[in-house]
Amino acid sequence: MPEKNKQKVLAIASPGGHWIQLNKICNPLETQFDIVYVTPGAQYSSTKSNQKVLNITDASATSKHKLIPLALQLLWIFIRERPTAIISTGAAPGAIAFLLVKFLPIKTIWVDSIANVSILSRSARMVIKHADLVITQWQPLSDNKKIIYKGSIL
Amino acid sequence: MIFVAVGTQFPFDRLIENMDDWANDHEEKVLAQISEGEYLPAHIKWQRFLDGEEYNKNIREASVFVSHAGMGNIISAREQQTPIIVMNRQYKLGEHRNDHQAEGLKWMGKLDGVYTASTKKELFNHLEHIDQLIVADPENKVGSSELSSYLANFIKTGKR
Repeated sequence: MPEKNKQKVLAIASPGGHWIQLNKICNPLETQFDIVYVTPGAQYSSTKSNQKVLNITDASATSKHKLIPLALQLLWIFIRERPTAIISTGAAPGAIAFLLVKFLPIKTIWVDSIANVSILSRSARMVIKHADLVITQWQPLSDNKKIIYKGSIL
Repeated sequence: MIFVAVGTQFPFDRLIENMDDWANDHEEKVLAQISEGEYLPAHIKWQRFLDGEEYNKNIREASVFVSHAGMGNIISAREQQTPIIVMNRQYKLGEHRNDHQAEGLKWMGKLDGVYTASTKKELFNHLEHIDQLIVADPENKVGSSELSSYLANFIKTGKR
């Protein structure tokens, strides 16, 4: 049950590994925050029945024509949900969300996928100037200033 | 017991066939989840899909978990404290739409308790030394809760 006094957090990820990692990070936060999950293919993605999961269009660097419907859906979600913060593990939908809220008072937290061992993902590099916090899951990729390491999901 | 699982999205006949060959030459019991695979093993007890509870029980009770290179199974192996050997689907063999599982082997192989194999030979080499395969240090699980509490604090206070 969503509680009025809990801050709302949007958790956005593509399906597959990004979605698995997002759940590992955000499920433990559900006691403290009202988490709304946002993912393409949401109908297949709900791991727990009490989670609120919103569906969006899937878009990637190879399907640029889908970026506009995706952006409109995300804007509508921001207006309706009014989140305090957005967390994303990637890929494209999270990056688009971060660019859209750049001038809004919404904190943006990028947790780069554990799959990116030697260089941050392309979407992370795209949002790095715009995000309030960028997390890597591999210590060597941290610069202890902009890119932070605080352990990993594993 | 060895538990083998290929995920729910695609078959992975090469892995199942390899494990069937191995089971033919060894005493150890092997259970497999084979998805929509066409190859039906003769020396392995198999099911196409399992419910989550049975799936996790099998991982927990296995001496080693042999899996496709999927992130979900690596996480489950960690949670159940079972060593895992992952084999990647290959694009050129028509086993996946792309070669991201081959890329995956690079980071998966850096984790404690995770062993990687691209070929039958590499897979069998790991299986020769099952008792020497280690599990991830349970202390490592702290990583995930440290990350989540760091994020919670940042959302509430804005402080890094």
